[in-house]
Amino acid sequence: MPVAESGRPTGTADAGVRWQRPSPRLLLARRIQAGLVTGPAAIASGLVAGVAGSAALGLGIGLGLVVAGLLCERFLARRVAAWGYAERSDDLMVRRGVMIRRQSVIPYGRMQFIDVTAGPVERSLGLATVRMHTAAAASDARIPGLDQAEAAKLRDQLAALGEARAAGL
Amino acid sequence: MTSLPQGGLAGPPAPAEDAAGWHRLHPLSPLVRAGRHLVTIGVLVLGLLFANHNQAGGDLVVDLVIVGAVLIAGVVSWLVTRWQVAGGVLRIETGLIRRDSRRFPLSQVQAIDVVQTGLARVLGLAELRLRTAGDASGGRLACLRLPDAERLRERLLSMAGARAAAATRGPAPATGAVGPDPPGGPVPGAATGPERVLFRVDSARLAGAIVLSRAGAIAAVVIAAMATVVAMTGEPGTIAPFLPVGFGIVLAVWRQFNGEYGTVVATAPDGLRLRSGLVQTTSETIRPGRVQAVRLVEPLVWRAFGWCRLEVDVAGPRQRRENRAESQRLRALIPVGSRRDAEHMIGELLGTRRRPSRRAARRAAWKAPLLYRFLAWDLDDRHVAATRGRVCRKTTWVPLEKVQSIRWVQGPVQRRLGLATVRLDVAGKRVTASIQDRDAAEAGGILATLPDLARDARTMRGLHRGPAVSGLASES
Repeated sequence: MPVAESGRPTGTADAGVRWQRPSPRLLLARRIQAGLVTGPAAIASGLVAGVAGSAALGLGIGLGLVVAGLLCERFLARRVAAWGYAERSDDLMVRRGVMIRRQSVIPYGRMQFIDVTAGPVERSLGLATVRMHTAAAASDARIPGLDQAEAAKLRDQLAALGEARAAGL
Repeated sequence: MTSLPQGGLAGPPAPAEDAAGWHRLHPLSPLVRAGRHLVTIGVLVLGLLFANHNQAGGDLVVDLVIVGAVLIAGVVSWLVTRWQVAGGVLRIETGLIRRDSRRFPLSQVQAIDVVQTGLARVLGLAELRLRTAGDASGGRLACLRLPDAERLRERLLSMAGARAAAATRGPAPATGAVGPDPPGGPVPGAATGPERVLFRVDSARLAGAIVLSRAGAIAAVVIAAMATVVAMTGEPGTIAPFLPVGFGIVLAVWRQFNGEYGTVVATAPDGLRLRSGLVQTTSETIRPGRVQAVRLVEPLVWRAFGWCRLEVDVAGPRQRRENRAESQRLRALIPVGSRRDAEHMIGELLGTRRRPSRRAARRAAWKAPLLYRFLAWDLDDRHVAATRGRVCRKTTWVPLEKVQSIRWVQGPVQRRLGLATVRLDVAGKRVTASIQDRDAAEAGGILATLPDLARDARTMRGLHRGPAVSGLASES
C-alpha cells in the first residue's frame, strides 16, 4: 500500500470515499478572524513601542506584525483546504491539519449528541460548525465552515443515522 | 454522643419501611456523614487547646456551635431523604427546601460500590454508591446497615440485568455477619453467589511498592529534607511553614495504601468483585461487559523487582468535583503483583495472555530514540493491545466492541520518516490505546480495517447478549 502524495493514509477505506469540503467562505471567515486579531495587536504594540521608544521602532514593530499576519494568511489557505469529511456507510470520517495531519473515524452508532455552533464571524457569513460527541472525552470530530442550511441537514442526517445504529457502552 | 441524633428523630414515625415501599437511611447516618468534619474539628480544638490553653474558651464555644450545626443539618437531611426500588428504577428523594428526586434506571448502572469509612465500620454501617456513565455524581445511599447494603446491592445487581442472580440469592445473610471489625480483613464477602478468588495483594509488597513509587519517593525526599534542615539548624520551628505540604504528601501516600490494602479480586456470576481498604473499606462489583479498557503499568523501578500494576477503566463519571485527582485514577485490580499474577488476570479478563508483539519499525528510533524499543501493538479477534512509554511502560488492551472513535495522526517528523500513529478512544477517563509510530502503510491499513472489525464486534455482542434488560419484573 503506497502512501499517497498528499501524505494521507491510503487503503481500501479510501477507495470509494467521496470527500466533501467546507464552504469556500470558510477561508474568508478565517482571514477575518486572523485580521481581527492581528490588526489591533499591530496597532496597539506599535503605539506602545512608538511612545516608549522611537517612532521608527513603533512603525517597525507594527509593520512586522502585519507581515507576520500576512504570512499566516498563506498558511490559512492550506489549512482550510485540508479540511474534509466523508459520510461512509457506517461511520463518518473527518480529516484536517497541514503540519500535523489527523483523520478520525467516528461510527454513527457511537455518537452521543451533535452540536451546531456558529461564532459571530461565522454567523455573519452564514456558516456554522458541526461537532460530534462520543462517550470518549478524547474523540475529536468537528467540521467547521458549513453552510448553515447544510450544517442543519448534516446534523439531522447524522442524528438519524446515530439513532438507527445506536450501540450501548 | 450517639444518643444525639437518635434523640432528634424519635418523633417521626419512621421505622424501616413505609407503605409505598419507601425506605429511610439508617438513623445513625448523620453521625457517620459528619464524621470527617467532626474529626477535623476535634483536631482543631485539640490543637487550639494545646497551642494556647489560657484563652481557649471562646474558640471552644464556636467549635461546639459548628459541631451542633453540622449535626442538626445532618439530621434534617436524614429526615427528608428516602429511597425506593420499583419497576427497575432506584429513586432517591432528598432536600428540605429544594426537593431533589433522582431516578437511576438499573439497566444503566455500571457498577455498585459498598464503602465503609472508619466510623461507619465501628457502627456496622456502610454506604452504597451507584455509578452510572456520564452522570456527574452517581447515586449514593449513606448509610445502611452493612448486611442490608450487601443485600440491596445483590438485589440491584440482579435486577440490573445480570443472569439468574436471583437463583443464587438464597436466604438472607445471617445477621451475625455484621462483625464491626473483622481482623484486618476487608468487608465480609457478600454471602451470595459462588466466588472464585483471582488475586489477593501481598501487604508487605504493597508497602514496598508504594515506597518505590513516585509518590513514595517524593514523600521520602521531602521528609528527608525536613529532617536535614532540622538537624542542621537545630530548631524545629524553621520547617513549620512547610509542614502542611509535608503533611499533604504523607496523606496522599497514606490514602493510596489505605485504599489498596488487602485488595481481593474475585469473579462471581454478577461480575467482578473487588474489595479493599484498611480503615475505609470499599467493596465494588463491576458488571460483566462493562470494562472499557485494561492497562498494565510497569514503572522502571518496579520492573527490576518484576512487579507491575493492573488497572481497569469502567465508564463512569468523568470527573467528580470533590475529588478530581482520585477519580482520574483508574481502579487497580492488582495494585502491585508479579508478572504471573498480571498475566493470569489478563487471561481471566480478556481471554488472552499475549503481550503485543508487533514491534515498531527501526526508523522510529529517529523520532523516539529511547521509546521505540517498547513500542508494539497487536490485534486478535476481540482486542487491540498497544504498548508505549519508556520510564513507565504502559500496555493498554481495548475490546474492539468498546472503541468509540479511531484517530490517525501524522506529525511533520513522522511524515519525513514515513510513520503514523493510530489512537483508539474508549469511553471513560481518557484512556487511549496509542498504536504509535507505525509504518505509514500499516497505519493506513489499520485505519481502513479497524472500523469494520469494531463494527462486527459490536454486532456480535448484540447477538450474543440479546436484550440487555431482564429480571425487571421481579419487583412487586
